[in-house]
Amino acid sequence: MSFLLATFRKDIARWRQDRTAILLWIGLPFMIGGLITSMVDQDGGVGPMGTLLIADLDDTLVSGFVAGAFSQDEMADLIGVQQVTPEEGTRLIEAGEASGFLTIPEGFQDAFIDNTPMTLTLKTNPSQTILPGIIEDITEVLLDVGFYLQGVFGDEIRQIKAADVPDTLADSFASDMAVQIQQKIRRLESKVFPPVIEVEIVEPPPDEPSPDIALLFLPGIVLMALMFSAQGLSADYWKERDSGALRRLVSTPGLLSRFVLGKALAAAVLMALIGGATLLAGFIYHGIPWDKMLPSMLWIAVSGIGLFAWFSAIQMLLPSRKAANLVTSLIVFPLLMMGGSFFPLDVLPDWMAAIGRLSPNGFVADKLTLELTSASAWTFESRSWLTAMAMTLSGIMISAWRLRTGFARKS
Amino acid sequence: MLAVEKLTKQYGDFTAVDDVSFESGEGKIFGLLGPNGAGKSTTINCISGLMPPTSGHISIAGFDIVKDGKKAKASLGIVPQELALYEDLPAIENLKYWGQAYGLRGSALDTRVRDVLDHIGLADRAKDLPKEFSGGMKRRLNFGCGIIHKPKVLLLDEPTVGVDPQSRQRLFEMVEAERDAGACVLYTTHYMEEAESLCDSLAIIDHGKIIAEGTVDELKAQLGARDVLQLNGDFPSGLGTTVAERGISDLEIISDEDGVLTLTMTAASHHLPAIFESVTAAGGTVNETSLRSPNLETLFLLLTGKELRE
Repeated sequence: MSFLLATFRKDIARWRQDRTAILLWIGLPFMIGGLITSMVDQDGGVGPMGTLLIADLDDTLVSGFVAGAFSQDEMADLIGVQQVTPEEGTRLIEAGEASGFLTIPEGFQDAFIDNTPMTLTLKTNPSQTILPGIIEDITEVLLDVGFYLQGVFGDEIRQIKAADVPDTLADSFASDMAVQIQQKIRRLESKVFPPVIEVEIVEPPPDEPSPDIALLFLPGIVLMALMFSAQGLSADYWKERDSGALRRLVSTPGLLSRFVLGKALAAAVLMALIGGATLLAGFIYHGIPWDKMLPSMLWIAVSGIGLFAWFSAIQMLLPSRKAANLVTSLIVFPLLMMGGSFFPLDVLPDWMAAIGRLSPNGFVADKLTLELTSASAWTFESRSWLTAMAMTLSGIMISAWRLRTGFARKS
Repeated sequence: MLAVEKLTKQYGDFTAVDDVSFESGEGKIFGLLGPNGAGKSTTINCISGLMPPTSGHISIAGFDIVKDGKKAKASLGIVPQELALYEDLPAIENLKYWGQAYGLRGSALDTRVRDVLDHIGLADRAKDLPKEFSGGMKRRLNFGCGIIHKPKVLLLDEPTVGVDPQSRQRLFEMVEAERDAGACVLYTTHYMEEAESLCDSLAIIDHGKIIAEGTVDELKAQLGARDVLQLNGDFPSGLGTTVAERGISDLEIISDEDGVLTLTMTAASHHLPAIFESVTAAGGTVNETSLRSPNLETLFLLLTGKELRE
């Protein structure tokens, strides 16, 4: 047991000398993950793409409706509305600091009600192509809507405007107008309104919340960090072989299985550190409940040893250091692609996701995704733990066997 | 202490070590001499448990390396030809790690590490990384890792290859210190002068077979007081027979090839004029003459007909 711990301490001490490699293993997935997350994030980061300046000189209910229309729903994600004075608006649009400048003149509401001509001025930014066009189209649609409203309910609008009703009769006037408008709507509804389409909104059950797409990338990014570090750490067997240390090791009574286990333990700690840093950043960024941190960390540490053990076995089965580096690199990238590090398994076609889940990293990422996105913590099944441990044991056994059967000998 | 009995190692059809036997005891240095590729390293690899022998037995401190490997290895220290160190681990940590590999623990380990650091002259560089050391310092640390557990049997595989004279002398002193402390040392080399000065007894190995064995004095006695004379020049093969007809007493032809004639005889310097006369009479010329007094190198030449370092 103490030789196992001695090997563990020896490897940790050696890796402390190679901080650059560890920083790279953390940094690369961070960089790729950061780029992916910022591209797909739906909530954070993407503000309005353009600015519409509005000088509302009328300052009435109808002019306010026009200005407010640009701030509704998805439109608000696209265009930010800024109320300005005519002078300020002119200065900003001429400086190219806005997509458009709309001036609503005084008397706009009266003109709308009386159905008299009125001009709205829209100045657009010539250096922009798409957003000014959108603003122009929306303005025209608004005016069309106004035109039809005026055409249909023009009489009622004019009656309301002209009404000089004493307070005692106000209620009866309002109800008359309401009935009048209601009857007009009923007459028109068969011609104007489309057939009623019933939309059934199906909400996911409460224990299966629909995760946001950026969160789905997190397990793949963590696995990317694990895969890079497992590949790099496993190459240490060749380094030890070339240094002659393995040759000396075989001539000592120290058990080779303890040596391999000691190295695996050191790798597990390093990978928990590397994967944990990535995971921690994800927890903070996505606001994942902290009770999932411990099971997730354990999962990546246990799975990390498995990946390390198998990369080690592959390294030691190959005839030269160059071949080992080449083959493991050739394995890493397709596995990352298949296993959800570049595209989450949940967004891949079903058949592709099924293949991905069969890959070692895809399997680990899939279980981690479930843990991170489910309502409760500790979702890992005992079968998953057993699979990860079986992967570890088989890799370690092959590594120890190769040490005994000639790998330690420097040719 | 160390007994090798009928050791054979084959790689397919090639026999690297062929029926080799020797033994050595406590407080002795046994030399295994031979040119590169003679089978020395294969023998060492089998003794250290790095590769299993095809047949034969190896016993270390009474334990069979194959059947009782763990106990045999506990008594074995190895100083390989190439460095076997962690260059990214401080010197003191290297010694501690290898000490733990041999089962040393706690204060016994700490005390032994300090002693070895003093012994190899690296106490003041204990916390430095070996990659910052000179070649000689690395060699000393490599030696220290091999003796950290006070082995009963110490294997040194060509330990002075590529070592400067000063470090070589320091290494000899360390080897003699181990011998004086009671260790059985197996020392392989292709430098005859090292073997002559260090070894109590030795075996000469060539093509995987032991061709001579005994103490240095016993081996020199095989050669007698005869010198070895080698002539290089322009003359055909068969010149040796012409020279032998001169009637020089106890002259023996070791090799006789185009342009190279190797002879052995007593007091060769006295016969040089007659030998040169024979060469001239045969129509040849001598460009280079080498006369060596009896030593292990000339014995190897006598036994194999070739130079040790060829």
